[in-house]
Amino acid sequence: MNTETDKKHQPRYINPYFGGILLGLLLLATFFIAGRGLSASGAVKLGVVSVVNMIAPEHAANNPYYSKFIPADGSSPLYNWLIFGAIGTFFGGMLSGAIFGRLKKFRVEHSPKISAKTRLIAAGAGGILFGIGSQFGRGCSSGAALSGTASFSYGGLLVMLLMFGIGYVFAYFFRKLWI
Amino acid sequence: MKEELFVSGRNIPNIDPYLNIWHWQIPIYLYLGGLAAGIMFFAGYFTIMRKEKDMETTVKWAPFLVPGALVLGLFALFLDLKHQLYFWRLYTTIRLESPMSWGAWTLMIITPLSFVWVASYMKELFPKWDWKFDILNKAEALAIKYRKSMAWLMMLLAVVLGVYTGILLSAFNARPLWNTSVLGILFLTSGLSTGLAATMWMSKSKYERKVLSRLDLIMIGIELFLIIHMLMGFLAASEVQIEAAHLFLGGEFTVVFWVFVIILGLVFPAALEILELKGFHIPVWIPALLILIGGLVFRFVMVEAGQITRFLY
Amino acid sequence: MGPLIPQEIITGQWDFVIALLIGAAFGFILEASGFSSSRNIAGVFYGYNFVVLRVFFTAMIVAMVGLMYFSYFGWIDIDLVFVLPTYLNSMLLGGFLMGLGFVIGGFCPGTSYTAVAIGKLDGLVFAIGFLIGVFIFGESFPYFEDFYTANNLGNITIGEMFGISNDWVAFLFVVMAIVAFYVTWLIEKKVRKNMTAYKFE
Repeated sequence: MNTETDKKHQPRYINPYFGGILLGLLLLATFFIAGRGLSASGAVKLGVVSVVNMIAPEHAANNPYYSKFIPADGSSPLYNWLIFGAIGTFFGGMLSGAIFGRLKKFRVEHSPKISAKTRLIAAGAGGILFGIGSQFGRGCSSGAALSGTASFSYGGLLVMLLMFGIGYVFAYFFRKLWI
Repeated sequence: MKEELFVSGRNIPNIDPYLNIWHWQIPIYLYLGGLAAGIMFFAGYFTIMRKEKDMETTVKWAPFLVPGALVLGLFALFLDLKHQLYFWRLYTTIRLESPMSWGAWTLMIITPLSFVWVASYMKELFPKWDWKFDILNKAEALAIKYRKSMAWLMMLLAVVLGVYTGILLSAFNARPLWNTSVLGILFLTSGLSTGLAATMWMSKSKYERKVLSRLDLIMIGIELFLIIHMLMGFLAASEVQIEAAHLFLGGEFTVVFWVFVIILGLVFPAALEILELKGFHIPVWIPALLILIGGLVFRFVMVEAGQITRFLY
Repeated sequence: MGPLIPQEIITGQWDFVIALLIGAAFGFILEASGFSSSRNIAGVFYGYNFVVLRVFFTAMIVAMVGLMYFSYFGWIDIDLVFVLPTYLNSMLLGGFLMGLGFVIGGFCPGTSYTAVAIGKLDGLVFAIGFLIGVFIFGESFPYFEDFYTANNLGNITIGEMFGISNDWVAFLFVVMAIVAFYVTWLIEKKVRKNMTAYKFE
């Protein structure tokens, strides 16, 4: 397993503070250019809306949540800043993985104390919870917590404190998954 | 009496205000033609350079894709025809001033040629293959004997095919976006690049992948140069061309063109290939797939956008 | 004078191309900092790897202070910057569910894209689960629409909520960040004494 103490192969990451400064500058540039922050969950929401719109347009139009995101002129809901941001995030991550040597064959990363299947079930469950929660919270960790708080939004601060606070409260019960 | 009232406010789909008669069949055909030209050009080239042993996939196995690609492309073209039963008339005359005639005859020669090339290597892929007829065995021996001449013919015809896919569009002087001579070379380079990408994906030898990857980088570089100079040429021409260029610079095709063709289809795969040549390990299917998809999207964008540009109001 | 797109200084479809480039930089920075591994991210809850806190907090204070300065110099019109509206009840529930999802799944949507990009199947499963979660929400939305929009405090900023100017808020955040960095450094040293592996690929 690759760990920092393994002399043969150490995972190469950039200094977290440096990474934070870069991310902060990028966020600032995004605010300067687009007047809004980054958000990864918005892209998935638009994706779901466009799929539902394609399969059952009347249901999408009747649903008060979906109908807000279907543009009136008939163009696809995917024609949006967030979708291209998400596509870019995917390829940017791929480029970084390529440079730092992490672009390998498909694998499931899990703690040696649990099986891959457990990890996948946990990832799926966590994803579903996060999905529902992000819609209530009007954003995910990058959208609400990071960009929201950076633009001094009270709601953003609330979501961020709650997210990490609840994580700490329940961390004890899920420690078997990680350590 | 049957009356047909036809009232339009310049909103007849596919006729007014944009006359759009070439649909998905044409870009598919142009793409497959370019891909086949790319694969065959390099198969012929490396045979002439006597590098068959080092570049096995390029010379022997990748051409197996070509007959299928050409047949599918021609079928797509056939589907596009209005009077399909009269397609044979294209082959009753040779008109040197018509790109369509050039294309029809080039394809007429190159399709059987590719079949023969593939057939001559059939015994190497399937050792138990038996032609069953003596005349076919004799023909195979003949083909193997004349491989070098076939290779020369294939190379030249592949260049003609690649250029023709572009000239077919650039012969339309009523479509300002298409009426540039750069399009011929550009589609040839794009075809060569997609052919190299497909071969690279199929190849199993590291040396071969390296050679193909370097060639592909040169092709991508040339392609980017040509695209930029094509746009520069448009911006320096008359008003209709300037409008045509503006379709790609802030107009409706900006996103698809710059994101899917340039960034994801050319620049990003080139970056990945450069990293691979410098020693970083990249799974080879990622740049290859991106280049292949980028080429297809490029053809679709050119055909769609071209039919929006015109000389009228 | 920013922001550029809402004021139509960048027009046409170029803003989507820029979105792609910004997203690419975002994904690159996330992956290079170590966020493509769920075990690195979960480390913030167990004390062996505080990369999440470091990157997050640093980014937040840089962006906050940056926005403040840009607004002060007149480089950005702060009124045109989108401030997330506060819906008290629904955000409380959202934060709760997201916290649970975070500690169980170990990803957040943005980092799950970078994880998929380098081949992590658990990132893919998380992303699919995320999609299903959004779909479940959308389908059951009519039942709790009132809850969703309850208690709308509007686009309120932290300063307005507590009655202090936003510059003080930024200052407080910077101070909190420095304290947090020091404290987590001590905690990390202590927790890592008993572990051999704490930085994962």
